[in-house]
Amino acid sequence: MAWEPKDPWGGSGQDPLDEALRKAQDQLTRLVPGRGFKSIIYIVLAVLALWQSVFIVAPDEQGLVKRFGDIVREVESGPHFKIPFVETVDTPKIEKLHRVEVGFRTDRGRTQFVPKEALMLTGDMNILSLEFIVQYKIKEAKNYLYKVADVESTIHNAAEASMREVIGKSKIDEALTIGKAQIQQEAQDLLQGVLDQYLAGVQVATIQLQDVNPPEAVAAAFKDVASAKEDREKLINQSHGYRNDLIPRAKGEAAQGINQAKGHAQSRIARAEGEANYFLQTLKEYKLAKDVISKRVYIETMEEVMANTEKIILDSKAIGNVLPFLPLDRQSRSRGDTTTQGGDSR
Amino acid sequence: MKQNLLMGVILVFGLLLVLGLSPFFVVDLTETAIVVALGKPVQTITEPGLKFKIPFYHQVTFFDKRYLDYDAPARDVITSDKKSLVIDNFAKWRIVDPLKVYQAFQTQRGALQRLDDIIYSELRVELGRHELGEIVAANRALIMKVVSDRSNEKASAYGLEVLDVRIKRADLPEQNEKAIFQRMQAERERQAKQYRAEGEEEAQKIRSEAEKDKQIILAEAYKTAQELRGDGEAKAYKIYATAYEQGPEFFEFIRTMEAYKKTFANNTTLVLSPDSEFLKYLKKR
Repeated sequence: MAWEPKDPWGGSGQDPLDEALRKAQDQLTRLVPGRGFKSIIYIVLAVLALWQSVFIVAPDEQGLVKRFGDIVREVESGPHFKIPFVETVDTPKIEKLHRVEVGFRTDRGRTQFVPKEALMLTGDMNILSLEFIVQYKIKEAKNYLYKVADVESTIHNAAEASMREVIGKSKIDEALTIGKAQIQQEAQDLLQGVLDQYLAGVQVATIQLQDVNPPEAVAAAFKDVASAKEDREKLINQSHGYRNDLIPRAKGEAAQGINQAKGHAQSRIARAEGEANYFLQTLKEYKLAKDVISKRVYIETMEEVMANTEKIILDSKAIGNVLPFLPLDRQSRSRGDTTTQGGDSR
Repeated sequence: MKQNLLMGVILVFGLLLVLGLSPFFVVDLTETAIVVALGKPVQTITEPGLKFKIPFYHQVTFFDKRYLDYDAPARDVITSDKKSLVIDNFAKWRIVDPLKVYQAFQTQRGALQRLDDIIYSELRVELGRHELGEIVAANRALIMKVVSDRSNEKASAYGLEVLDVRIKRADLPEQNEKAIFQRMQAERERQAKQYRAEGEEEAQKIRSEAEKDKQIILAEAYKTAQELRGDGEAKAYKIYATAYEQGPEFFEFIRTMEAYKKTFANNTTLVLSPDSEFLKYLKKR
């Protein structure tokens, strides 16, 4: 309770200054019993006054000094003085990128879906599940702090309203696929306009769509559409494959047929020429000695024919008697053979 | 003695401050204040600063002068095409004439109650003039503007300003939501079917086209082949004809001889008469 008589310098009582201090102390304690208590109050007050008169504005903050409810000066980051107890300081983080989540909340790294915010009606009367974040900076610290109550929830509400307004004008397929960038931009412009109207003192940096999905109840059907699209491409590709297989083969077959025909035609002509020339050459000689040559050819032919065949020589008068006994069945078989052979060439 | 007096003064001030009976009060830049003397408003303070009053005699009521948030609970409204819609709106408003508000409602809370009545009725009236589709899609901004302006007009009589009424959510009631999901499901199923059928269609077109092309290719080739064959054959005939015409009788003879050779091949049994040309010498002997 009383002044601690301990010497802060740890020296003995020989120092004259020390001596004087101790004397003063003794006097004080002797004079009034409440004197020690009073000095504590003074010291506490002094420390408090010092504590109250210095403040530090962090690098990402701005300092707004208020005296009796009104702003008297604005200060940059760094240490500053103020009148203790009379002046107060607000230090909004003007450099920080603030973040608002709509349709979900992140809580210690875990995201929680908020269906009430996320599910919204599209212009073609479908329901879409959409999550997005708004990032903003404090543009006008004075407006941000003193013009609008509950700035955070104001931004949240305005963001939700803006996004719903934009989605309300979009079709679900646009929103799910190509229109994302446009939706973000439109919602951002709309939100900025609204917040400016409210004098919120906020600059919207970005609106970023996170998950844009069909609602869970119909997600499977939407996925099936995607796979149906792929099926369509697959079927078309397969049929192209079929065509790619079929046509070259047909062309090959066609070329083969034509080549065969060409070969045949060419060979027919060549053979014809050969045979014609053979004929003409032999004809020339034949014309020189018709009788002899025809006889010679006849006999040669007969020689050949007779050499290879069974022969029965009958007098023309006897034919009628013998004919019934000839083995005609064998004959006919043989004749069949010869005719097939003969039919082949010309 | 002097010190004791000072202490006494400080003590009294402290006590007064603790009891809220200080002759001084601070009006923040976010507030306005009404000074009331024995129940009668005597002063409206709109500028911030340190102000003076007589304890016990003067009472001070503060009002927020910032734009205030009013987030109404979601409510059902009926559209002009008799459809039910759940509207969740919020409004930005502020107290512009604290004296009027004080006289009419005493507190901010009372003012808010009135504001809610005004906005809700304006909203219901205006939404009742539009069809569901307009509210959700096309005219939302315009509708909100009309509601804001009308609400503001009415609220200004109470010293309030309505800056903006905004529809946060315009959703269908839950039972309609189910219907929407069913329709969405059906719509997607239809799309999926269509895509698959389109795939089949396109595939069949390509296949049949390929088959057609194949047929044409083969037929064209056959045509060309036959023409080539015919041409070759014709040329061959012509060559034969030109040659044989030089000696038709020799041709006949030679050809017949050849035919004999071929037709009377192995295993043929010839029944010959000794009268035949070939055997004429046999007979003479």
